[in-house]
Amino acid sequence: MADATCIRLALTIVLLTVADVTRPARAATDWQLDLDARLVSSNAEPSFMEGGLGTTRFSSNDDGLQLGRVRFAVTQSIGELWSAHLDASMYDDKDRSPVGVTEAYLLFRPYPFDGFRFRLKAGGFYPPMSLENRASGWDSPYTLSYSAINSWLAVEVRPLGVEGTLDWLGTRTGHGFDLGATGGVFGWSEGTGVVLANNGFSLTDRQTPLFGRVGQPGAEPLGGAEPFLQFDHRAGVYGGIELRYFDRVVLRALRYDNRAEPMADDVTTANYSQDTRFNSAGVRIEGDYGWTGIVQWLDGETTTAEDGVPGGLSSWPFRAEFALLSKRFGRHSLSARYDRFTVDSVNAWGYGEQDGHAWTAAYVFDASAHWHFTLEWLQVVTSSSTREDLGLPPLLTERQLQFAVRYALGSSIR
Amino acid sequence: MRPPARVRSPARAPRRAVAALGLLAALGAVCGARGATLVIQVQTPDGRVLPGAVVTARPVEGAAHKAVPVRAVIDQVNRAFAPDLLVIPVGSTVEFPNSDSVSHQIYSFSPTKRFQLPLYRGKPYPPVHFDQAGVVTLGCNIHDEMLAYLVVTDAPYFGRTDTSGVWSAEVSRGRYRVALWHPRLRESESDLERELTVRLSRALQPAPLSDRPHSWDY
Repeated sequence: MADATCIRLALTIVLLTVADVTRPARAATDWQLDLDARLVSSNAEPSFMEGGLGTTRFSSNDDGLQLGRVRFAVTQSIGELWSAHLDASMYDDKDRSPVGVTEAYLLFRPYPFDGFRFRLKAGGFYPPMSLENRASGWDSPYTLSYSAINSWLAVEVRPLGVEGTLDWLGTRTGHGFDLGATGGVFGWSEGTGVVLANNGFSLTDRQTPLFGRVGQPGAEPLGGAEPFLQFDHRAGVYGGIELRYFDRVVLRALRYDNRAEPMADDVTTANYSQDTRFNSAGVRIEGDYGWTGIVQWLDGETTTAEDGVPGGLSSWPFRAEFALLSKRFGRHSLSARYDRFTVDSVNAWGYGEQDGHAWTAAYVFDASAHWHFTLEWLQVVTSSSTREDLGLPPLLTERQLQFAVRYALGSSIR
Repeated sequence: MRPPARVRSPARAPRRAVAALGLLAALGAVCGARGATLVIQVQTPDGRVLPGAVVTARPVEGAAHKAVPVRAVIDQVNRAFAPDLLVIPVGSTVEFPNSDSVSHQIYSFSPTKRFQLPLYRGKPYPPVHFDQAGVVTLGCNIHDEMLAYLVVTDAPYFGRTDTSGVWSAEVSRGRYRVALWHPRLRESESDLERELTVRLSRALQPAPLSDRPHSWDY
């Protein structure tokens, strides 16, 4: 039901947008269309989207030409201080619908006053956590595959609710830094953590659409789970701070708790509730001569009812870190990233343990405002108890080479 | 005409070595009988020149002439203000066209001049009048990274240092207070004020005698 309501809301926003575009008046509509085609070579196992335990987006079955992403985004001003944002993407045909909305929200942005700026968001959006995914469409400008931490956000962390942010704009009042505090209340997150508990971390750039599905129905371990569901009548919360030193350094910290009731389940969709909470902190430093460095850390736990043990709980404490270094040479940039991640298991079966690390190297050539080319090499080494349970070798090294051709078109792209 | 000799200002030197910016002033090249060229070079503590700094000079004694107000333009191109720093005399107006294809929403919450230009493209608004001296910080409420500064000054002489870190002006003789402003300065404006005396290098030629009776025709 909520699913249908959301789709109707999204359609209404699109229709309103189209209606506005057709008016000759001073229309404050900004739109963007991104096309992303990939040449892929991979030796990886099938990913969670194909019912496998692979840790990269493309598997050895996907060698050749693949659709990276087709994205359409629109921002429509509503009056002076409100705007509506819609981000829709098409990745492949493994989800329930060919096109999904990855973010959709209303934004209230009153004018800053006396050095303070307030923002209010309502809808479905990413929590203010990633320092890597800063390009339009929540993409990373450094690599194709996101870090393990941000891949996890892309897969199953997407608050649907309300977020308020208050910034003190010190840099605009003669000081060297800005300070911000954010708080959010959200629902539709009972399934957040299900991929982590069953498959562990992965390095992907596929963003699960709001109310989308992960895994394939009938294909264990995920079996087509839905991370964005509301059935325990409890709201989740998050709170974070951000410190910026001029435009050189950004420091972010976030505490997230979906406050889900771990014993709850949804009979109609056969989804179980995951009580997921985590802390994250990171820093991004941009220096002279095109250097950028990012370090991010994540530590949390997800808990659900234990299978076959009445009243019992299964928990998966998880932790991940990455460090990224990037150097820009005019229109060219080179980036390297090291990821490390681990999922422990506190349950009767020892199910879902994962330990791994990954190296990513990428070259990006921004030929023009429209054309962008990226070559990326990714290697993920993991040890998984789930693979072992299935009679497969627990230790696995997966490699994926991608060449992306991206074309962007939009009202602000010239 | 010999080139101006650069001399360090006689005023107190900056105390904080790391943050200090050097002000080098040169007086020379006498223009006519009553004027001089004031040349200011701004240097960072390691001796590198600082382009783009705002320099103002106002006489310490006597009434200063007022600079003529101007009609200036700050455009918005590629989600950035162009220019991102402008110095104008009090009473000037500034137009804020938007040459981007995306809308902007310009604001200032600086006490010198608070204003807002609601969401727009092109040139729908009349110029904004700046009638008070001070610094105005400009931003866009849609694109948070957009930032520009407008320095509104009541000084008769003002400008910005060029790529050599130099600003110069033709001034009348007298004592001047020279001040420096830059958005990334760490020291207060008062630490960077210098008082300069414009001293002519040669004595003036005889002035017209004024005490002769008018009846003396020859």
